[in-house]
Amino acid sequence: MRKILFIITVFMTAVAYAATYTVDNLPIPYLQDKTQYVSNPDNILSQVAVDSLNLWLGQMEKAHGVQTVLAVVERIQGGETYDFCMALGRKYGIGRKEQNSGLIILLSTGDRAYTILTGRGLEGTLPDAICKRIENHQMLPALREGDWDTAMLNAVRAITKYVDGDDSLVGDTDFDEDTGALIGFLLCMLLGLGIIGFAIWYDERKKSYCPSCKQYKMKKISSYTTKNKRLGIRTHHDTYRCSHCYFTKELHWDENINSGHMGGAATGGALGGSFFGGGGRSFGGSFGGGSFGGGGASGHF
Amino acid sequence: MKTLKSLLLAVMATMALTSCTYNTLVEQEEGVTRAWADVEAQYQRRADLIPNLVNTVKGYAAHEKEALEAVVNARSRATQVTIDPSNITPEKLQEYQAAQGEITQALGRLIAISESYPDLKANEQFSELQAQLEGTENRIAESRRLYNEAVNTYNVAVRRFPNIIWAWIFKFDKKTPFAAEAGAQKAPTVEF
Repeated sequence: MRKILFIITVFMTAVAYAATYTVDNLPIPYLQDKTQYVSNPDNILSQVAVDSLNLWLGQMEKAHGVQTVLAVVERIQGGETYDFCMALGRKYGIGRKEQNSGLIILLSTGDRAYTILTGRGLEGTLPDAICKRIENHQMLPALREGDWDTAMLNAVRAITKYVDGDDSLVGDTDFDEDTGALIGFLLCMLLGLGIIGFAIWYDERKKSYCPSCKQYKMKKISSYTTKNKRLGIRTHHDTYRCSHCYFTKELHWDENINSGHMGGAATGGALGGSFFGGGGRSFGGSFGGGSFGGGGASGHF
Repeated sequence: MKTLKSLLLAVMATMALTSCTYNTLVEQEEGVTRAWADVEAQYQRRADLIPNLVNTVKGYAAHEKEALEAVVNARSRATQVTIDPSNITPEKLQEYQAAQGEITQALGRLIAISESYPDLKANEQFSELQAQLEGTENRIAESRRLYNEAVNTYNVAVRRFPNIIWAWIFKFDKKTPFAAEAGAQKAPTVEF
């Protein structure tokens, strides 16, 4: 028993330490939270660097529709970063479909290899030679010193410069987070108003029901109200008569003077709005189905 | 009268089916043509890179005449081998592939030779040209993969029933995919 346990423990630690990623088990945080572009499962990059990268890549997607996955791992299966990136792009369809603006940046520190892979639509903005230049000038010096943070920050900063210079890449202007939250709020308001409308209609219909001839023909013929200031209640006395059989009934209902009908709707709308608005920020992203033709540049250090 | 009616119905049903499968076959054939155009474009892209690359290497290693000439010659030979995209026969594709393969080999030798010239390796332009070449080889591989995929989809569709009947009537022939590169079939031998 002990032996088995020992073997299991050894196996588990081996799995935990091996950290060899395949396309299928590389975590993609973007799918859970669309502000997270960086996959840093081995914590090779510092949190500060990850935050900066996420911010820059987020701006790049907003302004130019360039959807990025940046992964820094200890080791990948096969050790070929280009093949890994292509498989990753094929699996998720990174980048917007209409402009094929996907970008994958992968650094495997254990394999000492890196790739910048450009989507078909990015090949003009970031030609292979430019990718190579960025790698040679911005990444290589830092990579040789094992300064992973600087290498990635420099690379993304340089890429952003090239992407910013290309006006043909269009960003998200039609539908962003705030519009989403607003639409959510309006939908909630509409729903709330609809429910109230239905309640009022239902109430009226109930009042028009004649218990004698079982038809909805009762009409209000007279009404007066009395006030009770001490309890804060206004009492309505309504008299209904059936237009079919002339059956007469009297209805009394109380209304709280201090709060109106609309209170409920306003609360409902506000609640709904805050739910949609607050949720919008942490909604998962989805990839647009962009394709990769093999552009970009790879290298070893 | 009744038989005439049912016959008419049968003809109409077949027509509906035909137009559907016929259109699918046309679309898929068009997909193959498009994929082939991309393959040719990528090969052309590589051919366009060669003069620049040769000139750069010449500046540092002019006496590697043999390797340089091999690339230039392979390129000029390959440009003479063209394929009619609507009629890609296995023989023609074989010839095309062999001609392009020659370029691949000659380029490989040239790059290998340039490894022994540190000045050349340090040259920025050469490094970027090499990256472009590498990217182009990657694109060629990807476009060939996509072409084979398109051919495969089409070939399967053509042989399916009832498409096979319409394929026979309208002359939708099987298409030829790329065969694996001669060198790729052999597993590399490791010697110590």
